[in-house]
Amino acid sequence: MKINKAMLQRLLPFLSLIILFVALSIASPYFLTANNLTSVARQTAVFNTMALGMTIVIISGGIDLSVGSILGLSGLIGTMALERGFPIAVGVLIGIAVGMLCGFLNGLLVTRLRIPPFVVTLGTLGIYRGASLIFSNGLPVHKIPAGFSFLGEGSLLGIPFVAWMLVICAVIVHVVLEHTRLGRYAFAIGSNKIASVYAGIPVDFHITAVYAIGGALTGLAGMIEASRLMTGQPTAGQGYELQAIAAVVIGGGSLNGGEGSVIGTLIGAFIMGLLSNGADLLNISNYWQQVIIGSVIILAVTLDEVRKRRAV
Amino acid sequence: MPLLELQDIEKRFGGVTALRGGNLTVNAGEVHLLLGENGAGKSTLMKIVAGIVRRDAGKMLWNGSEVFLGSPSEAAAIGIAMVNQESLLAPHMTVAENIFLGREERNSFGWVNRRAITEKARHLIEQYGFPLQAEWRVDRLSPAGRQMVEICRAIQHGSSLLIFDEPTSSLSDSETRQVFRIVRDLKARNMGIIYITHRMDELRVIGDRVTVLRDGGAVHTGNLADIPTDQLIRHMVGREVAQIYQRDHLTPGAPLLEVRNVSVEASRLKNISLTLRQGEITGMAGLIGAGRTELCRAIFGVDPVDSGEILIEGKPARLTSPRDAVQSGIALVTEDRQISGLALRLPIGYNVTMANVERISNFGFLDLKSETARSAELGGKMRLKAASPAQLAGTLSGGNQQKVVIAKWLFRESRIFLFDEPTRGIDIGAKAEVFELMSELARAGAAILMVSSELPELMHVADRILVMRQGRLSGELPRGCTQEQIMKLAVMETAA
Ligand SMILES: Nc1ncnc2c1ncn2[C@@H]1O[C@H](COP(=O)(O)OP(=O)(O)OP(=O)(O)O)[C@@H](O)[C@H]1O
Ligand SMILES: [Mg+2]
Repeated sequence: MKINKAMLQRLLPFLSLIILFVALSIASPYFLTANNLTSVARQTAVFNTMALGMTIVIISGGIDLSVGSILGLSGLIGTMALERGFPIAVGVLIGIAVGMLCGFLNGLLVTRLRIPPFVVTLGTLGIYRGASLIFSNGLPVHKIPAGFSFLGEGSLLGIPFVAWMLVICAVIVHVVLEHTRLGRYAFAIGSNKIASVYAGIPVDFHITAVYAIGGALTGLAGMIEASRLMTGQPTAGQGYELQAIAAVVIGGGSLNGGEGSVIGTLIGAFIMGLLSNGADLLNISNYWQQVIIGSVIILAVTLDEVRKRRAV
Repeated sequence: MPLLELQDIEKRFGGVTALRGGNLTVNAGEVHLLLGENGAGKSTLMKIVAGIVRRDAGKMLWNGSEVFLGSPSEAAAIGIAMVNQESLLAPHMTVAENIFLGREERNSFGWVNRRAITEKARHLIEQYGFPLQAEWRVDRLSPAGRQMVEICRAIQHGSSLLIFDEPTSSLSDSETRQVFRIVRDLKARNMGIIYITHRMDELRVIGDRVTVLRDGGAVHTGNLADIPTDQLIRHMVGREVAQIYQRDHLTPGAPLLEVRNVSVEASRLKNISLTLRQGEITGMAGLIGAGRTELCRAIFGVDPVDSGEILIEGKPARLTSPRDAVQSGIALVTEDRQISGLALRLPIGYNVTMANVERISNFGFLDLKSETARSAELGGKMRLKAASPAQLAGTLSGGNQQKVVIAKWLFRESRIFLFDEPTRGIDIGAKAEVFELMSELARAGAAILMVSSELPELMHVADRILVMRQGRLSGELPRGCTQEQIMKLAVMETAA
């Protein structure tokens, strides 16, 4: 009896996702159409990819508030490269590299200055956004080769290309977290930094690496976003940090570090995606959507806290 | 009518049964010892009494009527207070604030009067003669210091039942005597006291009646005077245990670690020189605050050394971080398992391999099967009571957490071991296993420094004993020395 209850509570995010899915299928005839589902997949791909990066960062006990700005800057620089005539693959790689560099800088600042990541990334949130506006003079990049739209809008074997990308990234991040030394160190550092230092783990190196990986995934998300809009917007990604952090937290990640999983994060991101899709289908205004999403975050974290408190 | 009566208390955590048949009767004006192996359920039973954990089944009678306590403040309201095994203090607050946390006097604006609190705390501390200052921040305190704050916190408001969960596990002799004085004092005021300990030398000094728990149930209860100690131990562990540990002493080999004239200003270490040799267990005694932990920290590269040098295998070593120390083959089993020892929210297996993940990885990829197998094997050697290596370290009993910390450093296969209070909270059965593991290490050629506040175990295990006093080495004693000789070197003679 007791065990079942505990298991039920752990499965709560997953069950909510299914219930949400069923409810939306009943509430709107448009929901369960191939068209709508592909569009949900495309819409959530950006948040999902970012949230994967955020998962590692949060597990290691950090947080990255600058991801929205990183997304904007990498999308912008990546499309600028395309504008200059670089091949598409190279442009995408440049976008990823810019994201990685931004994350790396965050990591360096966190480990060298020894100030809380919340403060560091709040600062770089402003810096990276400002950099985008300076590089672009505030103007979007439009001259992009048509082939670039494949990344965000194309399909492979009848399934959106971004969905393939997401699966690949998710598998890689999962393997990194659960089956490599880097992932293990991320858990250890997030769970008890002092004990990790005493155990001889190169803590600063791994914190920096974690932010760089998170940045790289955000860079990829930035290129997906740019491809979907077919512009490089210096203002892209504003407010996305909320979505990414929420996905991790809804999926069972703890802002105290040491807890979180790829599966959980994906479920969290899909819940948020379905909520906003459902709200669109049911003609609920954008304003209310924000209220709903905010409430869901609080509800999810409360339920999770209750579960953990009971377990102790 | 007894003060407290527990009848057939049951408690399960997920698949783990912590208590079944938890029976206990405590009278006013008695010191009731609660004994049992690590993981027997002592802390859980007491947390139920103190309103921290809720029971699944069974009765709790308080002055004859059944009570259900939903929180520690409900327990405090009816007169039950507890000194916890693992400190539950607020780290960023002062000693005074912690003592009165949640019970502060407020003025008419609802503001806390800090001055009054500090004053009251100072009074309390003086009354019991603890080496504490009311203004100190709690996160700067040693485990012993935090233990004393916990004690002040529990006794400051009038309760009729006080629970001490291993209050002396991190204290040395003179602080332990202070605790005894407090306990006797409270008993004289007709309070009921429940006292948990793994130190066999304390039992007769402090106890009146005794209850032994095994595997979550009470297996013996009665007057302490009616039962010999070896029979108590048999009740606890269910087998015969050689109470006094004896090891074969080897002739020490080559020096592995040499500390030469090391001084650390920040932690007041002055001019310390010592040598740790292969195959030798060097004991270290001293009072709380004598600088034993600080010396370990300095050797381990946590605190920078201001002058002097450290040599490893005869070569000068630059140890500027724990990582340097670990890579030069030094292991430090820290005294504070919850702060610097364990990742509480991670599984046992993760913790065991934490200092040596390299050993289970190929090209950066982990061999999880071997992790599980090896941590289960080490756990078995140390009589770790756990459901599986996947159990979260934070859900283990205190003594079992300590075993995981030791296992972590055994897994590292270092050559120089610094054990800071290694047997803190470990039961009598498992202590023997820990000492056996230590002498196994010595036989295999490791050099060992063993810091301990328990003089009997130091005298039995160590080949020689160094004594520290106020940041200096005050002397060295050979094997076979007496407790008095150690104490004389440890306690400062004040000039008359
Ligand atoms: N939150 C929890 N989740 C799972 N198991 C738990 C939890 N708390 C306690 N246990 C288990 O309950 C058992 C009893 O633990 P308890 O802390 O009461 O032991 P103890 O007698 O105080 O031991 P020690 O002498 O080591 O302090 C242990 O096996 C422990 O692992
Ligand atoms: Mg206990």
